[in-house]
Amino acid sequence: MEKQEIPYHEVVQRERFDTRVIDYGELTRSPEAAYSKFRITPMDAYRLLKPYFNDRIGDQLRAVLPLALYLALFQMIILRQHVMDAGVITAGLMAVIIGLMLFMEGLRLGLMPFGETIGNKLPQKSTLPVVLGIAFILGIGVTFAEPAIGALKEAGSNVIPEDAPYLYAMLNFYAERLVLVVGIGVGLAALLGTLRFLYNWSLKPMIFATVLPVLALTVYVALDPQLSPVIGLAWDSGAVTTGPVTVPLVLALGIGIASAAGSGNQSLSGFGIVTLASLFPIMAVLLLGLYVQSAMTVPEILAQAKSIHAADPTWYQVTPMAEIIGGLRAIVPLILFLGLVLVFLLREKMRDSKVVMLGLGFAIVGMIVFNLGLTYGLAKLGGQAGSMIPAAFIQMDGVDESPFYWFSLGIAITLLFAFLLGFGATVAEPALNALGMTVETLTNGAFKKKTLMTAVAVGVGIGIATGVAKIIFDWSLAWLLIPTYLFALVLTLLSTEEYVNVAWDSAGVTTGPVTVPLVLAMGLGLGLAVGAIEGFGILAMASIGPIISVQLTGLAIRLRLYWQERRRLKEEAALDPTYQKGSVNA
Amino acid sequence: MSAQKEMTILTGVSLITCMVQKGKGEAVVAAARSAGAQGASIHFGRGAGVRERLGLLSITVEAEKEVIQIMVSKQQEEEVFAEMFEAGQLDTPGMGIMFVTPLEKAAAYIPPHVLERIEKDRVARKTNRQEIL
Repeated sequence: MEKQEIPYHEVVQRERFDTRVIDYGELTRSPEAAYSKFRITPMDAYRLLKPYFNDRIGDQLRAVLPLALYLALFQMIILRQHVMDAGVITAGLMAVIIGLMLFMEGLRLGLMPFGETIGNKLPQKSTLPVVLGIAFILGIGVTFAEPAIGALKEAGSNVIPEDAPYLYAMLNFYAERLVLVVGIGVGLAALLGTLRFLYNWSLKPMIFATVLPVLALTVYVALDPQLSPVIGLAWDSGAVTTGPVTVPLVLALGIGIASAAGSGNQSLSGFGIVTLASLFPIMAVLLLGLYVQSAMTVPEILAQAKSIHAADPTWYQVTPMAEIIGGLRAIVPLILFLGLVLVFLLREKMRDSKVVMLGLGFAIVGMIVFNLGLTYGLAKLGGQAGSMIPAAFIQMDGVDESPFYWFSLGIAITLLFAFLLGFGATVAEPALNALGMTVETLTNGAFKKKTLMTAVAVGVGIGIATGVAKIIFDWSLAWLLIPTYLFALVLTLLSTEEYVNVAWDSAGVTTGPVTVPLVLAMGLGLGLAVGAIEGFGILAMASIGPIISVQLTGLAIRLRLYWQERRRLKEEAALDPTYQKGSVNA
Repeated sequence: MSAQKEMTILTGVSLITCMVQKGKGEAVVAAARSAGAQGASIHFGRGAGVRERLGLLSITVEAEKEVIQIMVSKQQEEEVFAEMFEAGQLDTPGMGIMFVTPLEKAAAYIPPHVLERIEKDRVARKTNRQEIL
């Protein structure tokens, strides 16, 4: 008897799918069909857009939501205060999420192709000085386009001119020039970083040659009590510049140049630019401070500050026009510059120009929406939390039952809050995840991704806690920065090249477009509430934290490997009776 | 000791190749393994042509792809294929494509105890059939 077997899976599949079989030839009959546009029904468009949209918005939600919730919950549960203007802040946070989503997508579609094409083609068609000049100008351009830079300008209105005249002058009268000098710093970093790509320079001497003068200048500025509040701004601006625009664009250019020149250790040379880009602006801002000091006297600044307060803001200085103009001014010059280089120097045409145009549109709209969200969401929320924090440990006007806790307990709670804020924000940063993966491959798995992320997060957490303590107790930032940076330099001497690269870069990589405005606003609010002269410095401390923690971890790993090796050798010697001291050489 | 090396030839093998957008391969591999696939190789690649024909909507589709290749036995083929199709959401536009190719033969290291077991099973089945006849 013939037995007929029907495989079970066939039955299951009949149940699951409405299967249909067609011949592939029917689908591809005419040769022209391969170039015709698809006819897309609205349903198709929806099904294409839905997963795309979900992925992008999910990324930004994960970056913004936990931080915002943490701040709001802390304020409600620990400080027992309602979040004021909750509706406005929520709308602002939504704007941040949508704005960042559009901006990042615009960066990917519109700006990155420019950067890559220029990086690949420019070295073939131009001489080295031209290439370096373009790297320099690009560095300035990306600084203006960096979303978090708006937060620095935002901070200007909170400074009291009588307490810190030069800081006030720099943030208000010199705001544009401030961003420009920061940009020049980034431009120089891009230039030097490109040279480093080409000639494989070691990062260590460059760090020493940069950090030591910066520290010396800091000491000089710190000696002048009128000028010293500038230090916080200077060191914070270093952390602000290395954001989602600068890092990928400058890296794309540098890597393109290195690969076109056929040199450069690809895996390692990607590092270093970020470090330099966060150190040079410090120097630049300090120098600008000295310039302002020589250009304006204190009474002049105070007089001018009064006249500004008297005048009504003109139409382009009020929201939302201010944000729209700010967004346009941030992106359009960069695009124009990249476009001019492409057309006149390279005589290249962009592929998919429609998609690139769409991307540029996304970038501009995203920047504007993000700027709006920055004003109404992040800055407001951070500022509010910062100004409420002191209620935990001192008597505050307008806050019933304050202080809520004994002084020391309140301080401890505040510092713990600051640590967790830094730790959490860092762990959630997608750029750190990418860095962790690179590092794990670079060190052949000795430095695990999780180890790096924890080390960086602990470093940032301790840094932010120290920065908050600095504002509360009104410590001098210079005396916090100088010993820590000197310690970091000693560690740099002891560490190997890879760990130095990773450690110095991790600081810049981790301060993203959400963390920076939040922390800046929180610091300024806190500074205002406790009556400190200025609320800068938290980001500066958050930058040095991971430099130290990562290098210490790196040293610990090397030490452990060394001891393991020693123990293994000893055990071998014990097992092998013929083994004698010195016989290895024989 | 003889220097003769052993080679075990596998027959009845199918290769399932599935191309999805970068970052979406993990779910497909997990589904295939849950349906009985032993393992997978994943390579990265770029798609060209079809995506551009979408016009501006092409931004919704990542040009970078993951190419997942999985060898399965003929018996598992349909089941694994269906599971991968579902996990990769290949019934959605732009998600990717997959296909099966029959393989003539394959070879790899097979642990001796597995070979022994197969040999035993074979003998058992033979005697079983003889008994029925």
